[in-house]
Amino acid sequence: MFKKLCQKAFSKSLWVYHVNVGACNGCDIEVIDVLTPYYDAERFGIKLVASPRHADVLLVCGPVTRQVVPAVKRLYDAVPDPKLVIAIGSCAVGGGIWFDSYNIVGGVDAILPVDYHIPGCPPRPEAILHGIAVALGLAEKQVAPVHLKQLPDRPESVSIKTPV
Amino acid sequence: MSAQQLGETVKQRFGDKVLDLSAPDLGQLYLTITPDSVVPVAEYLYKDLGCRFVVNSGTDRRRERGKFLITHFFTQDEEKIYIAVHTEVDEDHPQIDSITPTVPAANWSERETRDMIGVVPVGHPDPRRLVVADDWPEDLFPLRWDVEHGTKPPPVEGVAMPRLDPPEGASVVPIGPYFPVLEEPTYFRVCGEGEEGGGVDHRGFYNHRGVEKLGCSVLTYNQVPFIAERICGICGFVHSSSYCQAVELAAGLEVPERVEYIRTIMLELERIESHSLWLGIAGHIIGFDTILMQTWRMREPLMWLCERISGNRKTYGMNLIGGVRRDIEPEMYDDILEVIGNIEREWQALYDAIPGDGTLMARLQGTGVLPTEVARELGAAGPTARGSGLAIDVRIDHPYAAYDRLDVKKCVYDGCDNLARVLVRLDETLDAINIIRQALRDMPEGPIMAEFDEEIPAGREAMNAVEAPRGEVFHWVLTGTENRPERWRVRAPTYANLQNVPPMLKGNALADVPICIGSFDPCFSCTERMEVVDVNSGRVRVYTQEEMLAETQGHSES
Repeated sequence: MFKKLCQKAFSKSLWVYHVNVGACNGCDIEVIDVLTPYYDAERFGIKLVASPRHADVLLVCGPVTRQVVPAVKRLYDAVPDPKLVIAIGSCAVGGGIWFDSYNIVGGVDAILPVDYHIPGCPPRPEAILHGIAVALGLAEKQVAPVHLKQLPDRPESVSIKTPV
Repeated sequence: MSAQQLGETVKQRFGDKVLDLSAPDLGQLYLTITPDSVVPVAEYLYKDLGCRFVVNSGTDRRRERGKFLITHFFTQDEEKIYIAVHTEVDEDHPQIDSITPTVPAANWSERETRDMIGVVPVGHPDPRRLVVADDWPEDLFPLRWDVEHGTKPPPVEGVAMPRLDPPEGASVVPIGPYFPVLEEPTYFRVCGEGEEGGGVDHRGFYNHRGVEKLGCSVLTYNQVPFIAERICGICGFVHSSSYCQAVELAAGLEVPERVEYIRTIMLELERIESHSLWLGIAGHIIGFDTILMQTWRMREPLMWLCERISGNRKTYGMNLIGGVRRDIEPEMYDDILEVIGNIEREWQALYDAIPGDGTLMARLQGTGVLPTEVARELGAAGPTARGSGLAIDVRIDHPYAAYDRLDVKKCVYDGCDNLARVLVRLDETLDAINIIRQALRDMPEGPIMAEFDEEIPAGREAMNAVEAPRGEVFHWVLTGTENRPERWRVRAPTYANLQNVPPMLKGNALADVPICIGSFDPCFSCTERMEVVDVNSGRVRVYTQEEMLAETQGHSES
């Protein structure tokens, strides 16, 4: 029901607030790119706002670093309900190449409930537009999440083995 | 003076204190000195020989030598020499004399070395932590070899970094960690009286991702360029080029000439892209969105061009040790020329319009003044330094890739204000277009990968710097076993430039603070984190989390 309400409420105007939680800037500049003349997200009523208190949607880029966690949680609380969180870029989706680094907590869903994921490194402006259009109910989802099970005999901690 | 001669000069002056001296490559000098002579040698290099401090680095060599290796990097721009001053510190007494009182630019990197390796700079004026998170344990140093790269200590609530106390009667304006004009999280506390800004305290490094640790413990030589590009999504090619060139120098690899030209072209395309992006953001910061829309419109065909050349709009993924992955096909030359030709035409129009615009001039002229002397002392780099009259440009001072064969201009202005920094970038963009034309004209045919089959020997080292759009990017690689660097040190230009913020903000109206910070094109993901520096008073007060919360809350409501 909440989803329906959101889709109805947001379909005409969506105010977004952009949050960098440790990104390399690649996704951030593509987010701004979406608002500039070639892609022009404002034609869908999407507007970048300067305060989380004005926002409907948080666009979150980057792997969550240890240092930003309290600030981002406060920021999320400052956004009025109903609100959406869109994770933009591979790092925000699951931690990306930094996933097991000492200062990284993980993807955005490690600390906030994420409604939509837009993968890519960085995602193309078209992909970001598509993701937002899905959120607005203007376009269909193209992929569905697959749940993978952790086998019982594997150790808890994941270590990456890289070819030499 | 050659590097060898410079080394001899230092050796003559300090005698037995210089334990070892080598100058393996043109323009690189490695000195090993005793721990008690760190400060005198630094002072001699900095004051008497006119060297500029770059960064310092700590390496954990307890396994091989039972010691920590601390290295101070300097550069002598006129003689085109990079200098590494190694000192070995005993593992039982991890302490070294701080050079910050003598060389102010070393402030941050000495603190970073303490955070990462645990070697304490004795006599440092600001003993607070810099890089690691507030709740990171005091006795855990991520870059030591026995600390796993995936170590994640449990979070602790209610820990905050001590903040500097504002002077009597001043009010504090907190900016950040989330603030609309800053794309990335960073936290400034500007103390002001009335409308005028005074001291600044800064807490950064919200974007610290542990790049160096991953490069030295998990990845292999050829995987590091991938992660190096993601140090910064705007100037990523700069980092991967600098890393690859450092490894090539260390291993003694000859790179085909065509590779050097391809790297040069991609670096200059990236410069145009970055400067037009920056100009747009600067326009946005001062409330002139027309500039944002125009420059980003001009920039977009360049993004498409880069996608055609490299396969990605950003983070090109072209660099490998010894060469590049993709060639620039001769059919593409005309496309490149057409795109940069269009940008040149429109850029020229913009160039002519800016000095005539009263609004822009009012916001830029005379604001954010960074005097030449201060810029030199605090180690400013790139357009920030050149806007303050310091004629340093790595492309000319320490040529790499194909720059020694091309005609490159140093764009220097001595206005020292925000306008000067804008003009430097406007000029550089036109110059970059010119460089690409020359490079396309002169580029020879040939292979795009050096042939080598032996392993890269361990224990070699090399320094390399590249002129990023924001300034000097510096990489130092110490080769190791297991097909990966033993230590890989990165210094991004914003690391040096951010330390120039406090003097720049002094005496400015609070409304000009964002453009001052924006004027050196800060890139916090490069720098990896933040913190506050100077204040009028030297007292330190510890803020509780409630006080901090109250401040931030007040800010987000306002």
